[in-house]
Formats: sequence, structure tokens, C-alpha cells
Amino acid sequence: MQQQSEYEHEVAELIVESLNLEDVSAADIEPEEPLFGDGLGLDSIDALELALAVTQKYSVQLKADDANVQEVFGSLRSLSAYIAANTP
Amino acid sequence: MQNLNRSHPLTNRDPDEIIAHGPGGEISVSQFITHATELAGQLPDRPYVINLAADRYEFLLSFCAAIIAGQCTLMPSNRQVKTVQQVADDYPDCYLLGDMTLDNLETHDADFTSPPAGSGGDIPDIPEQQLCAIVFTSGSTGAATPNRKYWKTLRSGALGNADALLQGQTAQLNMIATVPAQHMWGFETSIMMPLFSNIAVSCITPFFPQDIVDAIESLPEPRALVSSPVHLDALLSADVNHVHIHRTFSATAPMSGELSRRLEKRFAGRVIEIFGCSEAGTFATRKTASEELWSLSPAFDLEITAEHVVIKAEHLPEDVILNDVVEWAGERQFRWLGRDQDMVNIAGKRGSLADLNHQLTSLSEVVDGVIFLPEENSKRLAALVVAPGLQPSDILEQLKPRIEPAFLPRPLYIVPMLPRQETGKLSRKMLVGLFEQTRRIKTQQDEGSTNS
Repeated sequence: MQQQSEYEHEVAELIVESLNLEDVSAADIEPEEPLFGDGLGLDSIDALELALAVTQKYSVQLKADDANVQEVFGSLRSLSAYIAANTP
Repeated sequence: MQNLNRSHPLTNRDPDEIIAHGPGGEISVSQFITHATELAGQLPDRPYVINLAADRYEFLLSFCAAIIAGQCTLMPSNRQVKTVQQVADDYPDCYLLGDMTLDNLETHDADFTSPPAGSGGDIPDIPEQQLCAIVFTSGSTGAATPNRKYWKTLRSGALGNADALLQGQTAQLNMIATVPAQHMWGFETSIMMPLFSNIAVSCITPFFPQDIVDAIESLPEPRALVSSPVHLDALLSADVNHVHIHRTFSATAPMSGELSRRLEKRFAGRVIEIFGCSEAGTFATRKTASEELWSLSPAFDLEITAEHVVIKAEHLPEDVILNDVVEWAGERQFRWLGRDQDMVNIAGKRGSLADLNHQLTSLSEVVDGVIFLPEENSKRLAALVVAPGLQPSDILEQLKPRIEPAFLPRPLYIVPMLPRQETGKLSRKMLVGLFEQTRRIKTQQDEGSTNS
């Protein structure tokens, strides 16, 4: 398993908390595995819940120009990078 | 005697009206017809097509091109590869349109970008009895159930919706939908309605609140938004610009009067909730901010018997039995009392708890177990399982290939036993009690382990 950065771990905790993933611990989320589809198996309701949590915590509005949610939430690493890059 | 050879034009719109907002600007009905007719001549000569176009105008265009070519569009219940593959396996004569490639399936690259050579062609007539679409609903186990849509059904449904949803609105309404074109709710509003009422639909499908606001701001007024309570709730909760939306249409899950009133205030427009299902389409509406009762749309009849609630209409191929309990409350008005106890609706998908529980208890090491909705308005199902020696993750892994992903219980707790009565029944009160108690203990344990 790849190492989570401190920032990634913080985002991982937000994911687990906001989606009630009671069987997953934040440290277990593989940084480069897909969060949706075959990874954690999240769906569009989760995407909206998570987007809301991200906005509340980091003041970042998530955007998907081509409505491709899978890309925005590609992995813990890409989501963390997106949040970091867009935090005001 | 009924004339089986009757036909009706593909659209009743005037050629100069606007039918869509594409990436390159407004698209007139006449441009659209020319483009669809041209495309129809280029499609592979097959009876079925799976249309996965993500761009809504591309979907409309290729859907109509297929109709003109006498082909039937297959609409899988979602865009996951295995779901699409399952449909393709059941209809080996099909080909694929859209951004996906599958083994053993021809993908047709349609040319959507270059504008058609001519314009002003005749609007094609389509036979009433032509099978135009098969909409698949997924059910509890993810196995697909086909719903056949003939031209007669689609056209009458769209004309009925124009009356029920637009309620006298005649100026061009500019529509954005957050639900996919391939889902029945998105299909009958954002694809069929623009063919039979003064609607110009946007080619994009925004998802996040900021995307929705951007998309709406890019459209001229008056605007219409086709969405679901989940999307609308997220939009209200987000800190985004306030936009004016003349009409908001919501379906896929029940909406509260409170959410509806907040939306009307925020958008300065009216919110109309629709009642429908994949088999019958939209058959009743209400203004949820001020109305509790549903008004039955003119083309439909509702029959309430001791066993069933049945929807009938001249344009439907067969009567539709609903999984809802309703009672009459006035002239062509009814009150919704709840869903059949066994049925749940999660993320716009309808499933049977009995089916799901059967899947759970069929797992080899599961001694007993129950999947249920912890609260009336829960977005997710929960489960309590008796399975000595197993972890929740083991059970979820085994359930994944057996049930539709939206129905995977979250959370799933392992318990020593279920509080069954002598008859084997589970009382809801005891079940919820055990669930709450288990959750409290689990939360305390988690906090303990974080602190240690």
C-alpha cells in the first residue's frame, strides 16, 4: 500500500465521516485506488454528500465540467490535490 | 376498429423554434430534423442500439435518428460496464453509440459535430406501433427488467406532460436536467418533451451545485430545472449564487413540503413534483409547497382495489400495478399513504427488501440477517447480521456481485442474534432498537480506539 500524506489522511477521514463508512478506516483508503466504481463502491448520492462536506470544511466548490464524477473523485490522491489546489 | 397503421410526426414543433442549446449555440427544429435524418442514413443496419451519449443533444439526435431508421434504442439502468454488457448479451443484434467500448460489440462513431449539409427537410412520420425504446429497470438484484416504449406511448406521454407540467406556459422554456437522458425521468422530460412542447434543452448534465448554477446562468429566462430531491437539497445547502428558475420538476424520490417551499423561495419560481414509474411514465403531479394531494393527469385512470393500485391509460400497452398505497381524496385527486412495506427506493432505484434479504441469508456463513430502512427518510439501507467469525467487510464483498450497488447496506453490523418473535417475525421497533444500540457501542469503541 502507498503511504498517505498527512493532508490525504485528513481528506480520508472526511470521506469516512461524511459517508458513514463505518467498516472502513481512513488509514485503509489506498491513495491511488478509485473511490467510486470498483474501489469503495461509492455512487452519486455519496458524491453529493462528499462534495457538501468538502465545501463545508475547505470552502471549495467541486466542479465537473463534463459531468464525469469519476474523474473528480478519481482517487484519494486526486481529490486531495484538487482540494489543495482550489482552497482559497 | 383501430387502425394499426396510424402514424404521427416525429415532432409537432415549428421548424424555426429552438429545440436545444448545443455547444455551438441554439439549434432549431429544422436543423435538428435535417441532422437526424442524415444521421439515420449512416447508422449500422441493426435492429437495436444502446445509446450511451452523455451529451443530451447527441442523445436526442441519435435517439431520433434511430427511430427514423426503424431501430429501437436500448437504455441500460446505468452506465457501468457490466450493466451495459448484460443488455448487449441479451440483444446480440445491437450496436453501441457513445463513449464506451465493449468486447464483441460494434461501436458506431456518429458524426455529431459537423452541421448537416442542407436544411428544411420534411418531418418524418412514425408508425404508432413502432417499438422505439426499451427502458431497463434494475430491481433489487440488478437483473434488468425491460419496459417497452412504443411511439404511441411516448408521444401521448409527452403531450400529456406538456399539459401537466407546463400548465399554460407557452413561451420557450429553457431546460437543464441533472438526471441522465437514459433514466426514464430524464428521458420523458428532457428528450420527449422538447419534441412536443416549446422547450429548448441544454446539452449538458450538471452534477455539483456550482455546475448546476453555472449551467442555469448560461441559459436565457424563463428556465426549467429537471432534478431529484437529492440534487435539489445539495443545491440549497451549498453556498452558491441564487438563480431564478421559473419551473423546477422533481421526481425519483418523495419531496417534503418544507424543501419545496425553500426551493420556491430561493428560485422565485414554482416547484412541481411528479409521480410516475418506468412502466407508466408521469401520471400525477402536485405543487408540493402548498399541496399534499396528487392530481391525476388527464390521460390516466387509477383503480384502487383491495389488493392493488392499478394505473391504466389508452396509450399504455398494459395496466401497471403500483408498489404504493394510495386513497382517493377528491375528484381525480389522491393521497399517498406510503409504499408497499416490502419496497424501498434508494438513489432512484426500486428494490424489494424480501429479495435483498433472501440474497443476504443465502450466503453460506450467514446464520440470520436482515436488511432494512433504519428511518422513513434514510438515504441508505442498513443491515444486522448474525455470522460468527465473519467481519462486515467479508459479507459486503460477498453481497457485491449479488445485489445492485445502491442497495448495499451501510452500515452493516454483526450481532449475536436477531430479536425474532416466536413466529419468526421481527418487530420494527425491536429491530431499530437493536440497531441504535449497536451503533452507539460501535461509535464508543471507535472513539476509544482513536484516543488510545
